[in-house]
Amino acid sequence: MDRELILALRGVTCRYPDAPRDSLAGVSLEVRGGEFHAVLGPNGSGKTTLVRAALGLVRPVAGEVEIVGRPGQGWSRRELARVVGVLPQREDNLFPQRVRETVLLGRYPHLSLLGGVAAVDRAAVDRALVACDAADLADRWLWTLSGGEYQRVRLARALAQEPRLLVLDEPTASLDLRHEMELFELVRTQVDAHGLGVLMITHHVNLAARFADRVLLLSEGRPAGAGAPGDVLTRDTAERVFGWPVSIGPFEGRPQMIPLRLRKESP
Amino acid sequence: MKYVVLVGAALAALAAALLVGPANLPLAELPGSAIVWQLRLPRAVLAFLVGGALGVAGTSLQALVRNPLADPFLLGLSGGAGLGAVAAIALHLPGPWALPLAAFVGAVGAMALVYRLGLVGGAELDPRILLLGGVAVGALAGAITTAIVSLAEATELRNAFLWLWGGFSGASWTTVLVMLAYAPLPLGVLVAAARPLDLLALGEEPAQYLGADVPRLKRIVYLAASLLTAAAVAVAGVIGFVGLVVPHVCRLLWGRLHRTLLPTAFLTGGILLAAADTLARTVVAPRELPVGIVTALVGVPVFAFLLRRWTVS
Amino acid sequence: MRRWTVRTHLAGLVALATVACARGEHATAVGPAVTDDAGRRVALAAPARRIVSLLPSFTEILFAIGAGDRLVGRTAWCDYPPAALAVPSVGDGMPPNVEAVAARRPDLVVLYRSGPNATAAQQLERLGIPTVLFDLNRLDELAPAARRLGVLTGRGAAGDSLARAMDSLASQRPEPLAPGPKSIVFVVWDNPPIVIGAGSYLDRLAGLAGARNVFHDIATASAQVSIETIAARNPDFIAVLSDTATPPRYAGRPEWRVVPAVRNRRFLFLPGRLFGRPGPRAAEAVRELRRVLEATP
Repeated sequence: MDRELILALRGVTCRYPDAPRDSLAGVSLEVRGGEFHAVLGPNGSGKTTLVRAALGLVRPVAGEVEIVGRPGQGWSRRELARVVGVLPQREDNLFPQRVRETVLLGRYPHLSLLGGVAAVDRAAVDRALVACDAADLADRWLWTLSGGEYQRVRLARALAQEPRLLVLDEPTASLDLRHEMELFELVRTQVDAHGLGVLMITHHVNLAARFADRVLLLSEGRPAGAGAPGDVLTRDTAERVFGWPVSIGPFEGRPQMIPLRLRKESP
Repeated sequence: MKYVVLVGAALAALAAALLVGPANLPLAELPGSAIVWQLRLPRAVLAFLVGGALGVAGTSLQALVRNPLADPFLLGLSGGAGLGAVAAIALHLPGPWALPLAAFVGAVGAMALVYRLGLVGGAELDPRILLLGGVAVGALAGAITTAIVSLAEATELRNAFLWLWGGFSGASWTTVLVMLAYAPLPLGVLVAAARPLDLLALGEEPAQYLGADVPRLKRIVYLAASLLTAAAVAVAGVIGFVGLVVPHVCRLLWGRLHRTLLPTAFLTGGILLAAADTLARTVVAPRELPVGIVTALVGVPVFAFLLRRWTVS
Repeated sequence: MRRWTVRTHLAGLVALATVACARGEHATAVGPAVTDDAGRRVALAAPARRIVSLLPSFTEILFAIGAGDRLVGRTAWCDYPPAALAVPSVGDGMPPNVEAVAARRPDLVVLYRSGPNATAAQQLERLGIPTVLFDLNRLDELAPAARRLGVLTGRGAAGDSLARAMDSLASQRPEPLAPGPKSIVFVVWDNPPIVIGAGSYLDRLAGLAGARNVFHDIATASAQVSIETIAARNPDFIAVLSDTATPPRYAGRPEWRVVPAVRNRRFLFLPGRLFGRPGPRAAEAVRELRRVLEATP
């Protein structure tokens, strides 16, 4: 199936002002509809910069970004928000709000200046809540939610935008096992059932290897490997990039990485 | 429903302002009285407009600096206005409009300086820089004001400080018309920015991802809110707490989405200030309290109560 | 033997102390002494011969009691009588320039009692210069000031005479004004409106001239009121301290024109140097006010 190219980065290089080195150097990436793309790498390897460059928050010094065939610069914020839904790492919550209100924020890119919230918007909110298994949370206050519930609500907000591409920046960072698995399953369902493209930054190499179709491994801003998880996650590559001895073994056809303990000197 | 209540309360406040006053006019005389038409009515209308402007400006600035404890005068505007007013008096600038215009120019100057301070560090309109810069500019303006006061003749400047404490005693139909001609543009701009302001509460990056053009939004909101505040100071001196307390009261009662919050803040601010002015005129009759003192005396307990609720929740 | 030595020493000390006290009393009995309005006892070795006056009213009083020739320093505001202009100025006096005052080598400095002046007085005292602080806000405070300045300058008779004149002025019952009672308001500032109340000199002058200050019920010297209150009390005249006859800038504004006296341009222009401060020419001020009230219809 020839799936549509939603996001394309070609040879993108970025450098923050006064930084000693490039935070991204010559990175290329293609995310298509119905594809789950994971970005892996140690801290400081440029993963969040990649998201910012893809979405126009950071201007690359070299290379180009294209979203659905148009150059990244050609998109206004509103237009882009109708196509790409993002779950950033951090956000503030200044004032108490209810879940339904938060998810409704995802409809803002679709609302006209003078127009109100229409039935189609409310329906999109309901669908998003159901898809994220959060329909029963709709009337709860945000500050009463657990970590896992909160992430599901944020995901629902991104889905309410009715995007073609979902970008998630370390969405399971503080979640327990069950909520982490639930989130990955939710995302996978969106890809399989609704043809969404997904770009996920994560530290969880093993889950990424099992759920993602393609993986980009970054090391100090440079691509250390791109392709199917089995091709990218070899023992040599992993040890070089993560700087730690590992063992790679298969599970359900996907490579799983187990970090080894340092050998003690035998007496 | 809430708008019915608010508009009703606004009309009640205006009626009270017209009926009550040191002149003790009997009801029958009111419709024909010059005191009502030339003094009480323009004063009540001006108080309402200024209160509304401060309510909206305060709401927008709290969203902009992402700090619910922000007040329009936190950004150095009151210091700038005071400096302008004192300079106008010390320089004996002619004409009845010298004082308001100078205060306006001073306030706008302070706004520009605070903005410029933010640009220097490459942190355009970064909330922390705004707040710190506002304090710094306010202190600088205060120091220059004190220098002028100490070097020039004493008595007139003492009266300038009374003006600065806030009051509507100079209200006239001309001032009302100026406000009516000037205020709708910045008010309209802020109401149009209502949805992006909702998004800004999530943080600048998340707001951009949800479609807000954040750099442009911050500039527009900063400019419009500062211009509204500068106009309020120019016609009525520095009136504190309205811009701080009104957004919170409205948030508690009617929610935090700006499409509702901005109009309710306008109406609530107007009602509050019109009522405060009526109190200022009557509580120590025949004398008058500066309105800024009444809003502070009422505002501080309300603020303390809100603070408790906010820290508890 | 020891007890005898101690007793002698003790007796000697007591004798010495008695002589010292006597000499001290003897010393104060010679020079003039008064208690000033800061509660301090001010005692001079001899009547003051080099005086610095830091208030125009004190300058006027000193000239009026014949001690004007002893002035060696005045403020820049002291312009009456004309002879005062020949005295060197020590600045505007707000606050007093202690160095400039000390440079005149005075043996008495006369100050109006206020916070900054009390500090300046302390500094002058540290330099060994005697100072005296008087209140001078009201008509009633002129007589005590005149009396005490008379004592300090050795012109006691003149001081008493001026004081008696001030007392008789203060107790005067004014003749009713012709053709009828007149009411006035003193507007000092327009935005916000500030008027003069019962605590002030101007209010007293009005009363002595036979006019009624419509804000006589306010106890303080000045107060902020609303235009509406002024309109409601409808004074016959608006008194303004001004050396020219141009109507004040608020006279043309529509909200002020609600006050009938503003609408009808019924202003009284009172020259600042005669009416602005309590002084020996208070009687002249009262006469002038009365004349203007009767002359204007």
